[in-house]
Parts: sequence; structure tokens; C-alpha cells
Amino acid sequence: MHIPDGYLGPYTCIFFYILMIPFWYKGVRWLKNLHPKQVPLLGVLTAFSFLVMMYNLPVPDGTTAHIVGGTIIAILIGPWAATVSISIVLLIQALFFGDGGITTYAANSFNMAVVLPFVGYYTYRVLRKKLSDVAAAGIGAYVGLVTAAVVAGFEFGLQPYIQPGYCPYTFWVSVPAMAFAHLVTAGPAAAVVTATVLWYVRKSRPELFDMGEAEAVRG
Amino acid sequence: MDRLTKTFLAVIGVLIILSPIGILLVWNYGDAWGEWDPSDLAGQVHEKLTGMEKLSSAWTHALLPDYNIPGWEDKFHASIGYIISAVVGVALVFGAYYVLIKVVGASR
Repeated sequence: MHIPDGYLGPYTCIFFYILMIPFWYKGVRWLKNLHPKQVPLLGVLTAFSFLVMMYNLPVPDGTTAHIVGGTIIAILIGPWAATVSISIVLLIQALFFGDGGITTYAANSFNMAVVLPFVGYYTYRVLRKKLSDVAAAGIGAYVGLVTAAVVAGFEFGLQPYIQPGYCPYTFWVSVPAMAFAHLVTAGPAAAVVTATVLWYVRKSRPELFDMGEAEAVRG
Repeated sequence: MDRLTKTFLAVIGVLIILSPIGILLVWNYGDAWGEWDPSDLAGQVHEKLTGMEKLSSAWTHALLPDYNIPGWEDKFHASIGYIISAVVGVALVFGAYYVLIKVVGASR
């Protein structure tokens, strides 16, 4: 889901940088709400996110996809914390590993660090009224990841209409391709990983779980 | 240190060691959708993508491009390169996170 440099034109890239400024600002300020106990936890969850993105999973059409881990952070700490930590991961990936891009960094941050954790988190919040926490978390991660992939698909696919010479495929091609990879492979993986992690935390540290709950959207 | 944080640290260690699964499982697969090399893509669509050619080289200073040591192409070397990348990446993520927390904490 990392849009590389060159696939989005300058206007699209600038648009996403401007769009991301308030999200980054609010996210970084939100870090002051972290309980001292949560500071190291968010650190290891950020590293966890970096690592799970290295696990490329096979998609039946011959491509690959990966999970992000954003919904786990959104539920355990808060969606704003996820915005900051996934943005850190995306920056390291772009600068040091050539994964994603510098011009597309803000667009990638919007998809994976804003759309994904917020959609995942609020899906979880709605579903947990009817389902168990663990099931709601798994479905939340699935919906969050697929939504982020579809949004990325729209960014690829709108580019030919905005400025040709960059991503050549329109959204008739890009959206189904992005949706398919994440519906069949990465989505189910995200659901299983998220549900497993949440099950473990719920069982071993229920009080920490509740702390994430109370603080998540404060500030 | 919190028990849960320690558990996650152990999980991070295991994920680093097992990281080559992330390339070996998809060894004969293509790139993720939309992450192709620009010249391959231009050939594919029989179109000159002038804007893409220019912007695609916006950043060429990646230390470990594609999470590998350049030239380590076979499965064994690529796996070692991937583990090295995982270690370097985790260290950089911790470093960046630590700096950010210090900066934000200081303005409290």
C-alpha cells in the first residue's frame, strides 16, 4: 500500500501534505496524554508495526500485500497515537529502505496512519456493543485495512484525471486491484493478528486495556 | 519495565529472526500493486510516463533499498539482508520515537 515516488503528481502530493498538517499536529500534541506506562508500550508497538509490514503475503493474482498494525495501536493506546507512530514508521521506510516515497509520504500517511487506524478504531467501538472485544477488534482491523487500501486505490486511480504522466491506471483498474489484495489476503491476516494481540492483552492486562479505552480520544 | 512491554520486545525479537518469511513466501511473486519499477511499468503500458520518470528519483539515498544489501540477490543472502534491515529498521524506529517523545515531553 506504499505509493512510491512518481505515481502521484506534484499537485496531488502537495494536496496531501497540506491535508496532513493538522493530523500530524494534533497527533503529536496528543502524545502529552500518554500515561508514563504507555510510553514504552507505544514504542514497542511502533516497532511491531514496522516489522509486520515486512511480512509480504501472497495474493492469488501474483502480487503481494501486508498488514500495518494500526488498529492494534488505535485500540490499545488511541487512534491519534497510531497516526504518530505509523507516520514514524512510514518515514523510516521511505528514507532508509526506499519503501513508499518522499513526495508521496503525506498521501501514504493519510491512508495508513489516518484512514486505517480511525476506521479500524470506530468500527471496533461500534461492533463491541454487540460482539466480544476480541471479535470487534479483528473485524475493525479488517475493515480499517481494506478501507485504507481502497482509498489508496482511489489516489492512484484519480491521478490520470488530475495530471497525466504519473500513475497510468484509472480507478476502474486500481480500486478493484487494491481492494482484492486486501480483502482476500492482508485483511484476514490483520483480523487474526489484531484479535490475537487484543485477546492476549485483555487476558493478561485488563487494566491497561481499559486505560487505552478511557484515554483514546481525549484531548 | 512493564511485563506487557517485555512480551512485545520478545515478539519483536522473534519477528526479526523470522522476517525472511516475508520475502521467501512471495519469492516468485510480482511487486505489490502500484509498486512496480517505473521503467517496467512504462514498457507494460506502452506509454512514456515523463512525470513519473522525473519524480521517481526524488530520493535515491536509501541505505538499504528494498530491505536488502545491494547485490545480495540469492535467497540466502537476501534473507540475511532482510534480517539486517529488520534490525536497523527497529533501531531507527526506536530512535525516532525516543527523540519525538523527548521533544514533546520537554514542551509539557
